Amino acid sequence: MAMVDTGQLRVHVQRMGPRDGSVPTATVVLVHGLLTDSLASYYFTFGPPFAAAGLDVIMFDLRGHGRSGRPASGYSLDDNIDDLEALLDTLAVTGPVHLVGNSYGGTIAFGYAARHPERAASVCLIESEPATASWSRNMDGVLQQVLHELAFNEDLALAWIADNRSHNTARLAKGAARLIRETTLAQDMRTSAVLTEDQIRAVHCPVLGVYGGDSELALLTPWLEKLLPDCRTVVLPGHEHSVLVEAAGVVGGHVLEQIQKTNAQIQAATAAAVR
Amino acid sequence: MTDPTATSTATDEDAVLADITGMLERLLEDEYGLDDVEIGMTTTFNRDLELESIDLVTLAGLLEEKYGRRVNFAEFVAGMEFDEIIELTVGRLVEYVVQSLKSAEAG
Repeated sequence: MAMVDTGQLRVHVQRMGPRDGSVPTATVVLVHGLLTDSLASYYFTFGPPFAAAGLDVIMFDLRGHGRSGRPASGYSLDDNIDDLEALLDTLAVTGPVHLVGNSYGGTIAFGYAARHPERAASVCLIESEPATASWSRNMDGVLQQVLHELAFNEDLALAWIADNRSHNTARLAKGAARLIRETTLAQDMRTSAVLTEDQIRAVHCPVLGVYGGDSELALLTPWLEKLLPDCRTVVLPGHEHSVLVEAAGVVGGHVLEQIQKTNAQIQAATAAAVR
Repeated sequence: MTDPTATSTATDEDAVLADITGMLERLLEDEYGLDDVEIGMTTTFNRDLELESIDLVTLAGLLEEKYGRRVNFAEFVAGMEFDEIIELTVGRLVEYVVQSLKSAEAG
């Protein structure tokens, strides 16, 4: 297992590159979602085709998730952005990277781009949004529900999930309950700082949003396209919040297209500057 | 008349099953403290072994350690639907590994 010690955290990292040994055309960092997620969601979906397309693919487990360390505290959005920054510094990845995030992972990715515009080549938000006051309220609502239903009456809640959803979902929920019980994650998320509209608008790199047509987040697309200087959105009908795992091939195709298009623009701009 | 390749396939499968069983036992012990799990060709990763997808990432690393780049578990799984991954059995992985090792030899 590839563990990277950033000084603040032991981070589980998986990296894939072109198998023929050619020099990668760019680096893409894939950020997973909250509670039930891990880098595995990318490892078995975007990872292999992105690497085959010539990219250096960095996947990592967020603090408290997957195989990364689980300190008792430090789970605010800014802490997650700090962890990402420390990881890329430790890996000596200092040039602009393409950032892709699923759900909360996209909020981290966007926050990183807002903090370091010079280090973001593009951002892809999959079922995700920048950190705003309404994002914060929704997130807190979800976490409070999990706190009540799982942390305080866990056996009953898990039995219900197993009966009404699936064995696998119940198992993931159990892991989520443990994470919430063992850490300050729920409190830290509640007090996370959010971005102003000006700070969001200041993200100038190309932004792609991919949403499930049946997800409430799809309603954000007009607002995002209007607010951001360079933003395009894709809505996939018949899908909900878990569109990444449900339609990995289609979503991955859109993300890869965006990355390659941005790369071509960067190369053309660099060539023009040299002339 | 016996088919000479049949015997060698069976032997390959047995050897690969033994390798993979060893990897899974190590993983279950390291991550979950389990040391008495029965593993065979029909065992499913999710329902029988209660493995999460992150455990399959660890398994992918163990497979690469053992067989090198001839076996690429991530690519194998990346071609599957989500439900297919959930229902994945040890036997399917064994077959994939045997196939990959064979085509590496042939190539």
